[in-house]
Amino acid sequence: MNGPDVTWYLAVAGVLFATGALGVLLRRSPLIVLLSLEIMLNGANLALIAFARQQGDLDGQIFALAVMAVAASEVVVGLGLIVAMARRRLVLDVDELTTLRG
Amino acid sequence: MSIAAWICLLAPLAGALAITLLGELVPRRIAGLVATGSVAIAFAAAVVLFVTVLGRDGEERQELTTAWNWLSVGDLDVGLSLLVDPLSIMMALIVAGVGSLIVAYSIGYMAGDDEERRFFAYMALFVFSMLLLVLAGNFLILLAGWGLVGLSSYLLIGFHHERPSAIAAAKKAFIMNAVGDATMALAFFLLVYETGTLDFVTAFERVDGLSSTVVNLVALGLLGGAVAKSAQIPLHTWLPDAMEGPTPVSALIHAATMVTAGVYLIVRAHPLFEAAPSVQDLAAGLGAVTIVVAGLIALVQTDIKRVIAYSTMSQIGYMFLAAGIGAYANGMFHLMTHAFFKALLFLAAGVVIHALVGEQDMRKMGGLRRLMPRTWIAMLIGGLALVGLPPLSGFFSKDSILASALATGDTYGYVLFAAGLFGALLTGIYTFRMLFIVFTGEPSGFVREHLHTEHGEGPRWMTAPVAVLAALAVVGGAVQIAGIWHPLADFLDSIVAVDRESLALVEPTVTQDWVTSILAVGAGLLGIGVAWLIYGARRVAAPRMVALRNPLERKLYFDELYQTVFYYPAVGIARGWTRFVEGPLIGGSISGVAGATRGLGRGVGQAQTGFLRTYALAIAAGLAVLAMVFVSVR
Repeated sequence: MNGPDVTWYLAVAGVLFATGALGVLLRRSPLIVLLSLEIMLNGANLALIAFARQQGDLDGQIFALAVMAVAASEVVVGLGLIVAMARRRLVLDVDELTTLRG
Repeated sequence: MSIAAWICLLAPLAGALAITLLGELVPRRIAGLVATGSVAIAFAAAVVLFVTVLGRDGEERQELTTAWNWLSVGDLDVGLSLLVDPLSIMMALIVAGVGSLIVAYSIGYMAGDDEERRFFAYMALFVFSMLLLVLAGNFLILLAGWGLVGLSSYLLIGFHHERPSAIAAAKKAFIMNAVGDATMALAFFLLVYETGTLDFVTAFERVDGLSSTVVNLVALGLLGGAVAKSAQIPLHTWLPDAMEGPTPVSALIHAATMVTAGVYLIVRAHPLFEAAPSVQDLAAGLGAVTIVVAGLIALVQTDIKRVIAYSTMSQIGYMFLAAGIGAYANGMFHLMTHAFFKALLFLAAGVVIHALVGEQDMRKMGGLRRLMPRTWIAMLIGGLALVGLPPLSGFFSKDSILASALATGDTYGYVLFAAGLFGALLTGIYTFRMLFIVFTGEPSGFVREHLHTEHGEGPRWMTAPVAVLAALAVVGGAVQIAGIWHPLADFLDSIVAVDRESLALVEPTVTQDWVTSILAVGAGLLGIGVAWLIYGARRVAAPRMVALRNPLERKLYFDELYQTVFYYPAVGIARGWTRFVEGPLIGGSISGVAGATRGLGRGVGQAQTGFLRTYALAIAAGLAVLAMVFVSVR
């Protein structure tokens, strides 16, 4: 087996996931939150693919493809919502968007 | 024959449905004509049945037709079946015949009323229900008809639904009748349990095999239904109040047909009653008590329709007496003549009420004899027939009942006879009290002011049925003349479940007939004489007798008694339950559960801040905790 050990891949995946999670938790712009979500997904995808390669099983790669498809659709919806909000001149700040609170 | 029976039954229903469904498409006058026509078709079908049956003998005179099997439970099969036999044909002839006359009369009486179509639909519905009752081939269909006549009676008593008193009267009639319906239904349950059938013919065949307790209970239950429907004491209080209905309703339902259903029931179920002689005696006794009590109360009534209503109760008492001593044909004979002359009295009273713009208080009337001569004659014929003077119809029928009471030959029979004779005296007094107050003397101020007779004495639609009924009240008694001929008794001899020579249990001798007739006519004439002295010639002041008059004017406190015994305790118990059980226990527990749920929701709702990042942090923290748990637990 060529290339670095699976541990390295997991480390990179963990860094990506943590970066994304911090972005979701700390940033206020819904656009950046969405972006950070994508980074989290990609971290998870990397871990999936790394394990698939280690196990010599394609299931993980197929799962990663499915995650990408879902992520793409989710971005379409999310961006659509953000554009709609911008058009209505709503403030693009997740802390201000609290209409659905209990 | 069966087709004619079905036409007879269904024509009025078709009329009622047509008027109801077509609604405003039918002009008002046409609605009345449709109702009259449909009842007249029923009458024609009944005549066809009558003629057909006359051409047959004995057993062949009964015919049971079943449309389909209505109810099938285990061994019990109840079909939608009609029984055509002389008894049901006689009832159908009376119901549809008198009914068509009265519905025709209503066209004139109800003209200009706001809701004529509804009225005529109800009238046709009533005739259908009554025909279902009398043509029923088993007890269940009979009960269905029984309930339906109660319903149509309720609807028609409360026809003027804008008057609170009419609504109250309708409810009262319905509830009093429901008591009777309940005892009747219980009797039928017991009958099904013991004999396994509700069919008249089969049930009567199996009566012999029943224990006397069962037969007594069944007969008692049936008697309860009969007493309630026929307004006999003690379930009579609804009938006088039922006079809130329009006058044709009083004539059709509360005089000629529905209230006689109890008599029909006893005659129809006579094998059951004969197997329970004490119950049959009770029926005769209740009839006798009603004759006297209703006659006494009628003496002091001031509402013209209520006088006739109490008179109806009293006359049905005679029929109960007859049915109770086993003189069935005589009871049915009186039922028929009573239908004629009582409908006549009501319709003639209706002409008076119509001419006096709805006034029913006799104290405001007077001197109408010269103003409305033909109505006076009609009323006089009805009154004389009611009192039972020869040769009018009431003479033959009432005297035959009294003679049968005399012919029983025991002490009880003599007591019944004496009560009937006293009733005849009372009948003379109260009938002619009414006639003299309303028609003789000088016209009262109210009459001079309000009488309007621009159509003569009334529209042709009203006067023609009155004339026909007057003719029937005169000649109706000739159907059966004691000692000379008795075609009616012969006709009824071949009804279902008669396996003896003659239907009647008692047969008066010629001497008894003569004695009875002389005494009864004497009593009637004496009554008329008393009424003439007090109210006609006004030579004698009406005896004051406060001790007697007050209880009579309060109708012997029956209403107050029921109020105290049933109404107040029921309302008191209901109030207690509301206050001490429903409020704290049921209402309290429900609002407690609701309050707790609401509080919980409010508490949990605090966690919903609406800040997206709080949620994300909660998810991340939760995930971290879970991860630590998984790692440490392993």
